[in-house]
Amino acid sequence: MELLIRSTAPGSTPGSAPASALRTATLARLLADRRARSRRTALTVAVLTVLLLGLLAASVLLGGVGRVDPADVLPAAFGMRTGLADYMIFRIRMPRALSALLSGALFGLAGALYQRLIRNPLATPDIVGISAGAGAGAATVLLLAPALPFGTPLAAVAGSLVLLGLVYALSLRGGLNTYRLVLVGIGLSGVCTAYTNYLFSLADQHSIAVAMRWLIGSVNGADWTGVSTLAVGLAVCVLCAARLGRPLGSMSLGDDLATGLGTSVPAARVAVLALGAGAAALATSVVGPIGFVSLISGPIAARLVGADRAFGLAPFVGAVLVLGADVLAQNAPLISPVPTGVLTALLGAPYFVWLILRRRPGATS
Amino acid sequence: MYATSPPATSPPPPPLARTSSSRGTALVVTACAVLFLAVVASIALGSRDISPPEVVRILLHPDGTGYNSHVLWTERIPRTLLGLTVGAALGASGLMMQALTMNPLADPGILGVEQGAAMFVVLGILFLDITGVTGYFWLALAGAGITSALVYLIGTRTNAGSSTLGLVLAGVALAAVMSSLITLLVVRDEAVYAHLRFWSVGQLTGRAKVLDEILPFAVAGLLLALPFGRTLNVLSMGEDAARGLGVRVERAQLLGAAVAVLLCAAATAAVGPVAFVGLVAAHCARMLAGADHRWSLPLSMACGAILLIGADIAGRLVLGHGEIQVGVMTAVVGTPFFVWLARRRNLVRV
Repeated sequence: MELLIRSTAPGSTPGSAPASALRTATLARLLADRRARSRRTALTVAVLTVLLLGLLAASVLLGGVGRVDPADVLPAAFGMRTGLADYMIFRIRMPRALSALLSGALFGLAGALYQRLIRNPLATPDIVGISAGAGAGAATVLLLAPALPFGTPLAAVAGSLVLLGLVYALSLRGGLNTYRLVLVGIGLSGVCTAYTNYLFSLADQHSIAVAMRWLIGSVNGADWTGVSTLAVGLAVCVLCAARLGRPLGSMSLGDDLATGLGTSVPAARVAVLALGAGAAALATSVVGPIGFVSLISGPIAARLVGADRAFGLAPFVGAVLVLGADVLAQNAPLISPVPTGVLTALLGAPYFVWLILRRRPGATS
Repeated sequence: MYATSPPATSPPPPPLARTSSSRGTALVVTACAVLFLAVVASIALGSRDISPPEVVRILLHPDGTGYNSHVLWTERIPRTLLGLTVGAALGASGLMMQALTMNPLADPGILGVEQGAAMFVVLGILFLDITGVTGYFWLALAGAGITSALVYLIGTRTNAGSSTLGLVLAGVALAAVMSSLITLLVVRDEAVYAHLRFWSVGQLTGRAKVLDEILPFAVAGLLLALPFGRTLNVLSMGEDAARGLGVRVERAQLLGAAVAVLLCAAATAAVGPVAFVGLVAAHCARMLAGADHRWSLPLSMACGAILLIGADIAGRLVLGHGEIQVGVMTAVVGTPFFVWLARRRNLVRV
């Protein structure tokens, strides 16, 4: 898109008068279209932000179990109350809500990075097994060396990077084939899940809540350490993603064109893959493998603002999804309380089915 | 079917592609010998050391008393027989699913059929107060049947580039839905959840009682499967050729699927979901026997049993004390195999 506009910029190719007029008119239409879409993007971001604030308020006010006097909520949220109100709001509900929001943003970012790079909505960190690898790494440290400072997030990132390396190396065969990548990822995530399952069957009854978090994904029991890990991680990941935005954009034109435009394609590809794995692993290390958020955030964002701008919006969508799912998981009648990952999987898996069923005429990849 | 499935346009002359019966007999005899060795090892080996002469003595005097005799008769022997039955059922189920869907990655675990069975078992425990393995079996059968139909319907209509991948993706998605529903149902009942978590890894430990109840179903399934080799051979030539030879294709496919689901349900009801056994056993059998299903079908039963018993022995011995569940061991063996298959040039569309 940008290339098209640049090559039709006025003055670049002076032609005959009617042709030039036509080109100017086309350009004007393109620019107007672009402005309209920018407005739409800004509006969508604004709506999502309001939605997020509303969900955040709902999560802190409603919160599941325990009653807190509404007058105490706001002061307690800033740590200005003591006793029960402080405990419920500042120690339990705030970290939980923020963990949901931040981990959702990280999952959304990770999914969008992979979907943009591999150009297939199915190739997200949880489908190609990276979340399972992160979960296996985190579970190992959690059960074998729980005292290690920052052990869980580091082990999760390490596990995800090892798994990424394995999946990538095993699916290379005369070039990267997306479907082979997905198949190899499904296979390897099987062994990671079996391993995590095994670790937690050793750990016995008392750790069922912990086990559930690592097998299904739950923001129950979040704390401020987790929130700060997620916040720092998200900031670093967003900065890196912003730096990678230009290479990614040129790579969407095809590897040859991107190389011509001065992008080092292999380096950029490895950087994007590692960044996506790191983002998903950080989120997994705090809240567990909350399923399908990275898969559905990108396509929803694309529905809202168009495929080429979906990249920046996906973290917002992911945050809304996880926070919304968590509010539901805590408060919905009949089903609550359940682990948040159950709800996202129940939403996401049918969407996944729809995604693989959808027929696009002439679509090949 | 195999990755290098015979093209329907030029069906190979059937007699040439077939395993000669002397070679087939030799293969089956060898497989039975290996299986026998596996059974002996499974009875003789374990975390408690019992010397071989002692084992022989206990086997010859079944009415003996003492702790070793107790271990052998109530734990190791039923456990071995269960491994034998379940492994054979999963092997046959995997081969039939692969032959019917013409998909080399088909396996009751990978396609989500076992999760479907598990889901119905949980529903039964929670809402119908069903306990006992016979009750589990009928629930597992219903769940496996419904899930297979769903996976097949979704998987064959996908836009995923190849029907091989489509089936796998449909299986993964449905397995995710099923396991979420299971969690949703059991999450408030910690006792049920703990039990389920134990069951959902798939293991042979402490299931001596299960054997009697599941045996009739498993044996019926295996006996029904055995004569299916010829039909599978005809179906593998393509639907048109099969029709030309006078086979009622839809009826044959439906019957085959019913037998495969029966076998998978019996196995799952008995020991919980165990992935990859069907996949690996079916491929081993076909590597040995070639394309002739009359021989690869019994061979896949033997291979499945050998694999499951072998994985169980390894799980018992790998740690000094305590043991690794057989479902974890088969995943460790099966995953590299699955990845190797997925890497084959002809499998995924390049």
